[in-house]
Amino acid sequence: MNPLQFFWLFLKASLLSFGGLGNLPFLHSDLIGLGWASEPDFVTAIAVGNVSPGPTGLWSISLGYLAYGWGGAALATLAISLPPLLILAVASFYRRIEHNPLVQDFVRGLALGIVGLTVVVSLGLASSTVTDWGGAIIAAAALGLAVSRKIPIILILVLAAVAGLILYGH
Amino acid sequence: MTAPAPSLWELFSTWLVIGIQSFGGGSSTLILIHEACKKHGWLDDDEFVRWWALVQIAPGINLIKFTLLIGRKLRGVPGMAAAAAGLLVPSALVTVLMTAGFTAVQGQPLVQAAMRGVLPAAIGLSLAMGVQMGQPLAVRAYREGPPRLAVSILIVVAAAGLMASSAISPVVALLGAGAAAIVLHILVPARRTPPPPDEDRE
Repeated sequence: MNPLQFFWLFLKASLLSFGGLGNLPFLHSDLIGLGWASEPDFVTAIAVGNVSPGPTGLWSISLGYLAYGWGGAALATLAISLPPLLILAVASFYRRIEHNPLVQDFVRGLALGIVGLTVVVSLGLASSTVTDWGGAIIAAAALGLAVSRKIPIILILVLAAVAGLILYGH
Repeated sequence: MTAPAPSLWELFSTWLVIGIQSFGGGSSTLILIHEACKKHGWLDDDEFVRWWALVQIAPGINLIKFTLLIGRKLRGVPGMAAAAAGLLVPSALVTVLMTAGFTAVQGQPLVQAAMRGVLPAAIGLSLAMGVQMGQPLAVRAYREGPPRLAVSILIVVAAAGLMASSAISPVVALLGAGAAAIVLHILVPARRTPPPPDEDRE
């Protein structure tokens, strides 16, 4: 594993993404393609990212650790910390073009595209994780509870762990 | 609303508390930032909403970009560094320790059983992220009339289909979605009649 290339893949994914999980499709196709991370690594990292403090986007740090140890976590942290600095340039530039309808439509198209990509990658991860009816029901319940925003994310994951213990803990 | 500029330490510690408190990520963090800004008079509501919209179109994690903008407003470049460090450093460390802790115990049968519940739930959460990102877009398109809603659905499905077929890279799919939105929104104008009243869901 080449550290420079590792850093570049995380940096590129962050540069091309909007929001915390936006880098998932890029990292998924690159790291799986190179054999540097496995499907379970991705699912674990997303789970940890949801449970751990801070922005959900810190899931990349967990993935960096799983793929490449402490060094990988450090490289991933650096890689997700740099692209947000571009907001300073965007803020001054956007002030001049924000009312242009073409710009607004393009940004809206990007957002729609992100929705499509997120759904496809999530379903792709499901193929290695959701292997029986119990798993499918847990995934659907987590989806419903998260969308309803009735209970905190952390509680959803605790309930899922309890469900796992009940269903599979013997 | 002018408040005295906070010290760098105050910025760092405020964001540290926000980062550490925001277990479960995303929206809870934003609410905590909003509360802190209100309490200290750092940012009025109008700025808050405008900046939050702005960070959506720049690359990277939204909460980091938002933190940078607020830090810069309050204390310039040192303020940016103090606020971002408070948000990131402790949370990143805890994230790695939690991952390490998990890899150490993952062989235990009970841990494996629990993870067989948690991992599918993580898939559900990831899908929920997609739904939550899509919701405001769908509401906006719906108000512009059924043809505009159809255009939005078409772009989502086309991007998903291209991605699923692995025919092209995600970047190309995204840029294509942006370009398609420009063309299709010109071809399919928004409805001019006033939008229907909001349907209260709760």
